[in-house]
Order: sequence, then C-alpha cells, then structure tokens
Amino acid sequence: MGFILRMAYRELRASWRRLIFFFCCVAIGVGGIVALRSLVQNVRTALAAEARGLTAGDVYVRSDQPWTAEVRGRIEARAAEAGAEWTETVDTVTMARLPAGPRTKVVEVRGVEPAFPYYGRFTLESGAAYSPVLLQDRGALVGRELLPQLGVAVGDRILVGDAAFTIRDAIVTEPGRQLGGFSLGPRVLVARGALEETGLLGAASRAERQFLLRAPEESIEALVGRLREDLREEFVRIGSYRRTEDRIERNFSRAENYLSLIGFVIVILGGIGVWSVTRVFVRQRLRGAAVLKCLGATSGEVLAVYVAQVALLGLGGALLGIVVAWAVLAAVPDSLAAQAAATTGFAVVSTDLTLSAMLQGLAVGLLVSLLFALTPLLDLRHARPLLLLRQGEAPSAPLRDPVRIAAAAAAGAGLFGVAAWQAASLEVGAWVAGGFVAVAGALHLLGRALVRMIRPLEAAGWFPLRHAVLNLRRPGNQTRVVLLAVGLGSFFIIGVRAVQENLLASFSLELRDDMPDMFLIDVQQDQADGVRRIFREAGLAGAGAEPALIPVLRARVTAVTGPETAIEGRRAVRRAGFGREYTVTYRERLEDNERVVAGEFWDAGPADAPEVSIEDSLVERGMRLGDTVRFDVLGRAVEARVTSVRAVDWDDSRAGGFMFLFRPGAFDGAPHSYVSFLRGPPEPAARGAFQRTLVDRYPNVSVIDGLEIIRTFRRVLDYVTLAVTVVGLIALLTGGLILVGSVAMTRFQRLFDAAVFRTLGANTRLIAVMYVLEYGVLGTLAGVVGSAGALVLTWALTRQVLDVPWTPAPFLNLAGVLATAAVVLLVGVASSLDVLRRKPLATLRAE
Amino acid sequence: MNPMIELRGVSKTVRSGDRALTILHPLDLTVPAGQSLSVVGPSGSGKSTLLGLIAGLDAPSTGEIRIAGVEITALDEDRLARLRGERIGFVFQFFHLIPSLSALENVMTPLEIAGAANPSARARRLLADVGLTDRGHHYPSQLSGGEQQRVAIARALANDPPILLADEPTGNLDSANGRHVIDLLVEVNRTRGTTLMLVTHDAELARRTDVTLTMRDGRTERAAAPAAAPALAGAAG
Repeated sequence: MGFILRMAYRELRASWRRLIFFFCCVAIGVGGIVALRSLVQNVRTALAAEARGLTAGDVYVRSDQPWTAEVRGRIEARAAEAGAEWTETVDTVTMARLPAGPRTKVVEVRGVEPAFPYYGRFTLESGAAYSPVLLQDRGALVGRELLPQLGVAVGDRILVGDAAFTIRDAIVTEPGRQLGGFSLGPRVLVARGALEETGLLGAASRAERQFLLRAPEESIEALVGRLREDLREEFVRIGSYRRTEDRIERNFSRAENYLSLIGFVIVILGGIGVWSVTRVFVRQRLRGAAVLKCLGATSGEVLAVYVAQVALLGLGGALLGIVVAWAVLAAVPDSLAAQAAATTGFAVVSTDLTLSAMLQGLAVGLLVSLLFALTPLLDLRHARPLLLLRQGEAPSAPLRDPVRIAAAAAAGAGLFGVAAWQAASLEVGAWVAGGFVAVAGALHLLGRALVRMIRPLEAAGWFPLRHAVLNLRRPGNQTRVVLLAVGLGSFFIIGVRAVQENLLASFSLELRDDMPDMFLIDVQQDQADGVRRIFREAGLAGAGAEPALIPVLRARVTAVTGPETAIEGRRAVRRAGFGREYTVTYRERLEDNERVVAGEFWDAGPADAPEVSIEDSLVERGMRLGDTVRFDVLGRAVEARVTSVRAVDWDDSRAGGFMFLFRPGAFDGAPHSYVSFLRGPPEPAARGAFQRTLVDRYPNVSVIDGLEIIRTFRRVLDYVTLAVTVVGLIALLTGGLILVGSVAMTRFQRLFDAAVFRTLGANTRLIAVMYVLEYGVLGTLAGVVGSAGALVLTWALTRQVLDVPWTPAPFLNLAGVLATAAVVLLVGVASSLDVLRRKPLATLRAE
Repeated sequence: MNPMIELRGVSKTVRSGDRALTILHPLDLTVPAGQSLSVVGPSGSGKSTLLGLIAGLDAPSTGEIRIAGVEITALDEDRLARLRGERIGFVFQFFHLIPSLSALENVMTPLEIAGAANPSARARRLLADVGLTDRGHHYPSQLSGGEQQRVAIARALANDPPILLADEPTGNLDSANGRHVIDLLVEVNRTRGTTLMLVTHDAELARRTDVTLTMRDGRTERAAAPAAAPALAGAAG
C-alpha cells in the first residue's frame, strides 16, 4: 500500500500540470452541485423553521364554499374539545382601484380577525409593529408593490368592491402566505367584517374561507384526525403546520435534486475529459508500467498506482470544486441575499456550505473521475515487460477485450447509479444518463462524420492547411473529445436561445390574431346587459361578433354511477381524481375548438332530463359515456347523464374550454355568473379606460389583463434563459479547459513536430498559420455540431413538447458557429504559444 | 555447483500471418551460480529473445526453464513479477529509468515493491557503489547516458538478486562510459557472487566474462570457455 501511494505521489508530482485541466472540469461541476445543494438546503432549513409562520396557525380547515352552520358547529366543537382557539380568514381575488383616476389592479384580498396571526410576524415598510388596530375603521395594509402600480401612497384611499379603504401601511413580509403559489396580484389585508360588507363574497363569487386553530402541541395530531373523520363528506382541506413542513421538505428535496443534476451533467463533461486524457496518459506511461513489472510489481499493483493517481486528482478536483462553491456563495452580496429572503418572506437565508452538500460533491467528483478513468486504465494490463527489449510503440490493446467491455458496462451502470442517486429517482436517473448518452452519442457521430468530410483537404496543395487537417487526425489526437465537449456547450447555448425565440415568436403570433388578451370573471346575472353595453361603447363589437358572455357555475362531482362505474361518496370521488371544483357551462351548440369523439351531441330542442358532455381526458379517469354524474352546484344536487365526449383544442382559447358542458335547462333558476374572453382595446389609454369603466360600474367584476400575464411570462422566460445560458457557458468553459488540456497533453509531440518543421525551413509564421487553421477548423466543426444539435432540439421541443410552430433561426445558428470557432481558435492558439517560441535544438536534443 | 539458470529444450516460435517463424531453436543451457556468461552474435540471432525468456518476460514455445531451482514456465504473470523482484536484476540497452522519478527514487522502487525496510538508505549506498553519491536527486533527463546506465545497475542490484541479466548494457554508450559500466558489472559478479548473463556486441565486454556463447539464426554455435570456469552449453537441432 505504501509503495502504491508513494509511487502515485511521485508520478503526480511530474504529471499534474498536464492533468489538472481535466480535474478543473470536475471541479466546476462539483462546485455547481455543492453551491446549488447548499443554497437550497439553507432555504429549506429557513423555511422549515418558519413552517408555523407560513401556516400562521397549528391547524387549518379550508373551503371554497361558505361554511354551513353544521360544519362550523363541528369545527368549533372539536376545537373546544382539544382546548384550541380559532380565528377565521377569507380570501378572494378582485379589482382594486382609486376613487378617481384610470388605474385598476387585480389584488388578492384577505379578511382577517384580530387574533390573526397565531404564528409568524408581519414586516411593515414603516418599521412599525403590526396591530389589528391598523385594520379598524376600513383600514388596509397592502403589498408594497401595489403602491407604485396604482400610484398611491400610505394614507391614500383605494376602492375594493363598493367599499373605500385607507392604506395604513405597506406589507414587506406576511405570515400565512402560500409559498410558491401562483399569485394573481398584490395582497390587500383588511378586517374580515369589512370584507363581508364589500358585497364581494356573493354566492357565485370565488372566495376561500379558512379556520385557523391554535392548539396545544400534543393534541394537534389527534385534532387533525378527528376533524378529517368528522368532515370526510365535506369538500374541505384539513392540515397542520407539519403538513406544510412536509410539503416544504418534499418540494425542496426535489428542487435540490433536480438542480444538482445540472452540476452533475457538467461533472460528466469533465469525466469525458478525464477519460480522454487518461487514454493518452496511459499510452505515455506504458513503458514505465512495464519497468515496474520488470522490477517485480504485479499487474494489480501497477494498476493501483494509476488508479490512486486518478483518485487523488479526482479528490483534488472535488475539493477545488468545494472552494469554488464557497467562493461563489460568499460572493453573493448580503443585500441581495437579504432581499431574496425578504421576497420569499423570510428573515435570513444562510450562504454557508452545508456538510451534506460538500460530502455529496466530493463523492460525485471522485466517483465520476474513477468511473471514466477505469476503462482506459485497464490498458495498463497490456504493458508487457518484453516491450523493454524492443524499441518502438507498444502494441495496442485488442478492441474486443472482454475485461474492458465489462469495465465499460460497469462504468455505465455506475454513472446511471450516480445520476439516480443525485436525482433521488431511478427514473430520472435513467432519463438523465440515457439522455446524456444519446445526445453525446449523436454529437460524437456527427463530429466523426464531419472530420471524415474534411479529409479531402489532406490532399490540399497549401502546406499549412494540409498539416492543420492532418493534425486533427494525428495518433492520440483529442479532436473527438474537444468536438464533443465544446459542441455540447454551444449546443446548450444556441439551443436554449433558439427555443426562447421560437416561444416568443409563437406568442406574438397568438397576439397578432384575433386571440383574446383580456379575461372577465365574476360578471353577475343582472350585470350582463350592462357589461354588453360597455363592450359596445368601447367599440369591441366593431370588427367581428361582440365578445360573448359565457355563463358559468361552479360545481363539484359527488358521484358517478353507470354499468361499469360506481364512484360514491366524496372520498371515493377524490380518490378517482374528480375532487376539484369545476367551472361548468351550458349551451346548445359546439364551439369551433370542440368536436365530439363519442356519443351524440344534443340538438336545440328542450331536454327531458339533464345531459352533460365531458371532455375526453375524463374518460381516462374512469368516466364513461352513459354514466350518470351527480354534481353539487352551490349546495344543490344535479344529476346528469353523459351523452357525449368532446375533444377540446385548448390552444384555441377564444371560446374557453370546459371539462363539463351541460345541455341548457339544467340550471334554470340557479344563481350563476358570466366570464368573457375578449380582445381588449389595443391602445394602452383606451385599454385602461375600458377596465376602469367596467370596474367602476361593477366593482365585483375582475378584469385579468392577458398582456400583463404575457409580460410576466416573458420575464420568467428571460430568467430561465439566463439560467440555462449560464449552464451552457459553464459547459463551454469546460470545453475550453478540455481543449487547453488536450493541447498540453500533446504538447511534446507538437514541440517535436515544430522543431522538425523549423529544421526543414518553416518559419514561426508558417507554423502559426498552421495552428490558426487547425483550431479554426476544429472550432468551426464544433460550432456546426452544436448548432445542428440545437436545430434538432428546437424542432423537437417546439413541435413535440411545446406544440408551437417551429421557425429556424439561421442568424442565431450562424452566429453560434462563428462564436464557437472564435473561442476555440483563441484558446487553442493561445495555449500553443510556447511551442511557437521554443528553439528547435533544445527540443530535438531532449528527444 | 548448483545450476542457477537451467534451460531444457527451450524454443520460441512466433506466427507471422500463416507462417511460423522460429526465432530460437530448441536449446539446453546450464549456468552455474556465480558464473558470468556473455551471449554474442549478429542482430536477429535470438540473443535478446533468449535473455527475455530467462527473465520470464516471455513464455517459451517448448521446453522448461528453471531459475534457482524454480520452474518458471508454469508461473502466472504476477508470480513471475515477484520472482523477478526477488531473484533477477535487469539492465537494458535503453536504461529504462522511470522519467518522473529521481535517480534515488528509481533505485528505491524495487525495494519498495518488495516491501524492504529503509529503502532510502540502501538506495543511497547503492548509488554510492556506482559512483553517483551526489546525483540522487537528479531526474533521468538531467543525467548523461553513462550515468543513467549506472543508476539502472544500482536499481538492478537493489534487492541483491542472485542473477543479473543485461541486454547490450554498453550498446548506447561511448567507449569510456562503456568501460566504466563493464567494470561495474564484472565487479558485481566477482564481489557479490552474482550470476551474470549479458547480451552484447562489445568484444571487450565478452572477453571479460567466464563464458561466451555465440548465436546465429536462433542456434548456439559454440561456447568459448576460458580456463577459469567450465560452462555447459548444449546445442540441439
């Protein structure tokens, strides 16, 4: 053992400079894993510590419908029995506006009682402490982003529904806000009683009601259990802060694992570099290995000497990666960290590295280095001492060496294992490992084909060009590896940019058409005519038909029965996947975006019994043509027979899409509201005035501006693009390092060649031109590989996954090829500079 | 006297495409312990092949080879490696020092492989024996050819093997350096009693061994045995 380690150390002392680049690649990947994991783990720790603050209580009971006296009684009885106190909250989405002026804004209003919150603290912009007194006499606290959006300040009044509220302060962070939930607008916090008086909580409006309970710690579990048992036939959601804790744990573990896969992919890229360098390295060390065998070392000992070297370098690379991660996290300015923490609602998020992240990074770096080096290292077995009695090259190892094939298979399995471990999922591991192998394999084959295509240039009349091309195929060349690594980097960057352009193009395409860009919800029955009048006044009926007001009701499935179906009771309904609240409508004809795939659609005549047409995805969940579905519509039971199944083209949103469509007549007399999908006035001032007029006249109506959502979407897309571009840049950097490394690896051969050329009369300029051509050609090939891969990726993503039209981006692809060629040219020539400067005699003598 | 090296009917045939090429015709040879023997002959006569077979670097096509009484043709690669480490020192024409190791470390390597105690002190002594006391920290590229070969001899003697094999040890050296190396090898044979077998083109070197074996086309021609010690050299075929 001592001998192996000592030998490994001595060999490393001589060769680490040439090998270090490859382990830098490992370091970058490990750095990514450690930094991302640490960050996510820190956020998770911070969140879990505030789980009660996120829930604002110990136990919650939530419902989309007003509490019936019976349900309320049961909750209160169970709470009293467990020694718990309780308070109620109500949430709804509506429009906020000013008493005068054109601006309106969708907001999330929450009504609370003085006892709120049981846990967690408000941070207010003024620095004052929160007190329920602030909400008295129609006081409101608003999310601070609302102030500039409406152009108001603390002390001003805003209108919510019919009621005016005075802004008493702005909220920086608040307890009880759902994490990561989709938010339609800023928070407006008011007293619950005042919210009830706004008239926004009518029977047909959307509102979520919540009971928050504070119970002694030991009774929480039992309380949740009893409430669930008591209310199992009601559509309520019951949970405790522990559930929040679990959810955080689950979501963040997943985020952590997926994010660290990014680092893993880079480590693999580094691994490919390790594989390539080990191959060349082993060839250079065959003689040394033969000497060791001649001196009495066994094959196993010789192999161990080199495995130990790879392990030491892998360990070194991984440790360097940890330092990189530490430096990156330490470089995050405190102010930014604090701001990020504040937006998510927490006091502090640490930027320290966590032990588990460091250990994982270390293990991954070491494992990947060893797995990739294993197959080439096995060639050392063929280092026969007899070789020492002859001059010349060692015979190359047989291609179909079963041990080598077995080792390659074991390395592949090992990589899959590491991927699955990092993603904490066998399936994801298989996808990542398989996807990587497929992409790398495809790029590799393409690279080979390209190298073959430029072969005729070997017969070129121009000396530097001929030798540049020959250099790409010299024995022990790194061409394929550089093509793969650099190509993969430019593939990421070009591909993501192209996908982004395609997505944006498809959106503007949708906006150019007569696609709706504005959505109205919660229009009441008695407001329908007035709203239509506003449409006409705004000139919306001008070009085509007037925007339709679609009647909607909110319904829940309570039972499905039929020859093959028997889903009874709310628990069974939930289990079958029909548990959510559906927005349903009725009409006598099909819309343009619908077609019947089974059964027969009704005609305009009156019906004997209620009929419903279902969307075809419901069939997959077990609903059949001919089944009878029982609905709960605002407390009323409606039974309808499924008489047809429809396919809905969800992309065509002009008429919306509905899972359940009823034959007219089923809801006569039931209170319902209208929604409308329309194309608002294009000009911003007219658009604002239109929204304002609507909300002024009908304060309960919410107007959701599609343009704003698209703007938000565009922002998110920008972030995603930035993130993936950073990954691509890191991959490209890794490719650059591999390039530098491979130049260093073949340096001796290059020095010798250059010396011979000089002796034969070549000047520095000629040799320099040769290198420029060599790396220029290599870079162009890598760019073409990446660009072609990106074309396929965008085509597949846009057509197969995102389902948007595919538009090739020729300029982007061309720019990508040129940029890649330039990078490779610069890096390659720069790392060959010392070859150009060396005097020939010294080199030839050394030989 | 016990034979240190014993060959019985040893031959070597290689296939080149469809043709079988006999590099070494069946041969018997016995070298007693402490004897020095030189193998001479033109290039391609099978000298190096014979030496390689004796060192266990290659396997014979027929026959058996005994080294210090151990039949080596049946040994696997790792057992052969161990045997070499303990019983055989080898000196090459092209020195074959490990370029990444200093002179001292090159000499220490066989001692470390064998797990010997205090390898550094012994390696220093050996370097002093070959007259390179001050060059231990130099790398092979910093040494002249003669110096490299002396380091190689020190390395070959590291585990005090009973047999020293040398393949054209002066073939890559000028005459002054060559003489120095010859003196060293002869001295080792005399003072340590190490059995010495060397392949050479160097007539002076051949004259200074007890026995000279001449080879041509894979056969032994004659054994010139100076009066000092009788050698048994049997040629067959």
